[in-house]
Amino acid sequence: MIRIELAKQWRRPRTLLTFAALASFTLALTAALASSGGNQFQRVGDIPLFIVPDHSGISIPVIALASTMKFFLPLAVAVFAGESVAGEAGWGSLRYALARPVSRTRYLFSKLVVALGFSIAAVMLVPLAALLAGTIAFGWHPLTAIDGSATTAVHSTIVTFAGGAALIRLGIGTAYVAAGMVSIFAFAFLLSTLTSRPFAAVAGGVGLTIVSRVLNADYLPGVAVLNHWMPNNDVDLWQHFFQDPYQTTGMSHFLVLQLIYAAAFLSIAWWWFERKDILT
Amino acid sequence: MGDSSAPIVIEGLTKRLGRDVLAVNSLDLVVERGQIVGLAGPNGAGKSVTLKILLGLVRPTSGRVELFGERVHPGAKVLGRVGALVDGPGFVPHLSGRENLRLALRMTRSSEPMADLERAIEIAGLGDAIDRPFKTYSHGMRYRLGLAQALLGTPDLLLLDEPTTGLDPAHIREIRDVIAAIAANGATVVFSSHLLSEVEHICTHAAIMRHGRLIASGLVSELRGEGSLEDAYLRLVGGETPADGARSRSRMSVEG
Repeated sequence: MIRIELAKQWRRPRTLLTFAALASFTLALTAALASSGGNQFQRVGDIPLFIVPDHSGISIPVIALASTMKFFLPLAVAVFAGESVAGEAGWGSLRYALARPVSRTRYLFSKLVVALGFSIAAVMLVPLAALLAGTIAFGWHPLTAIDGSATTAVHSTIVTFAGGAALIRLGIGTAYVAAGMVSIFAFAFLLSTLTSRPFAAVAGGVGLTIVSRVLNADYLPGVAVLNHWMPNNDVDLWQHFFQDPYQTTGMSHFLVLQLIYAAAFLSIAWWWFERKDILT
Repeated sequence: MGDSSAPIVIEGLTKRLGRDVLAVNSLDLVVERGQIVGLAGPNGAGKSVTLKILLGLVRPTSGRVELFGERVHPGAKVLGRVGALVDGPGFVPHLSGRENLRLALRMTRSSEPMADLERAIEIAGLGDAIDRPFKTYSHGMRYRLGLAQALLGTPDLLLLDEPTTGLDPAHIREIRDVIAAIAANGATVVFSSHLLSEVEHICTHAAIMRHGRLIASGLVSELRGEGSLEDAYLRLVGGETPADGARSRSRMSVEG
């Protein structure tokens, strides 16, 4: 049944468009940095990490991942999760799929696996496309970074990562970002079982991302107590892997949080879908 | 064959939607093998919900529903013997008619998939258009593909909800012929329609619903009596308390 679901989804214009948009974003980013990178240290994301984009092709996936993880990737993930069941309801084919001797649990599971697969692919596509474009544009060189948190006026901590070491850290960082999308995925997937309007489910996933962004102590100091309970706020911690020695503070908390959100949203989705009256 | 293995047995079926809407109200209905049953009644009479309950899509609030002696629940095994077209056709828009039928067939676990697929494509009668994306199909083409999907795997029971809506007379005739051919092969057909002349033409039996209740059922020839089925229907639907009657007459005029 997973293969049937895959056959339905992979050639969808929306699927292809999402992947194409992510890939062209990395290309545009590379082109922009190639024309204006200018041999200067640039800040990456919200933490004080600085790298020189055009010194090494490996810097591009780091920048690309940092600039997509807070909105673009959550949007892509919300599209895949939100469209999965609601999209089928919108086409009117959900009732035909379920009016068969097929368990709803199995059907929902195949939807989940395919949407999750596409979401992981979307997260992986960004650093892979960026690595390819970056290496072509700037060559394969060690990556130099300044750890701003350990830098004072008189002393800056410059670290250099050999190609292989940088790639390993990038790989772990990508896995961390992918894991950090799980709560948004699960929320959009839940909405997808509740509504027959795919747009509403996608918008809900994006909405959760925005709520997470807004209830962030960086912007609203008063909500600091919520900061580390929001589904998307700590997705940037992987950037600490590009400091030396790196720190992993908060990462396990964030990953456990993702699991809790996912377990809650997905079990409600399953519970509801098993009972739902398919009227549309 | 006893009652227990009749294609459809419905007893005391009630479905509550929302707080105080009884979409189906204490419905009893038995459909025997080989019958072609027309389910008639104004919009909102509960025909479509009843068909969805038979397909395991909607859970009854109370009552017993059996197909071929097996209790219906979501994903029940017996649904493998049922083909359906409810609430219009629903297909993956960017895939061709052929691919849609092939995917539907893979869900049904057919014993001879290629032969079944070819037969369904023939029934759809779409010619070269079968390889075009579904979203490019006209209304009539969509319905024909929907009917072809309902017939995949040669079902023993066919549930069709307004299968001729918006089709031109030639297509309606074709669909009528297909239904007759299927019934001649021993399958049972239930189809809902608000066109009584259609029911009169195709069906052996009719069941008339109103406000979720069954108000008449039996052989078309008996229901019709001396006049047409439409006369009988209007007599039945109009013959209630004055307040109800007024409401139903205004509904009937909406029906056209």
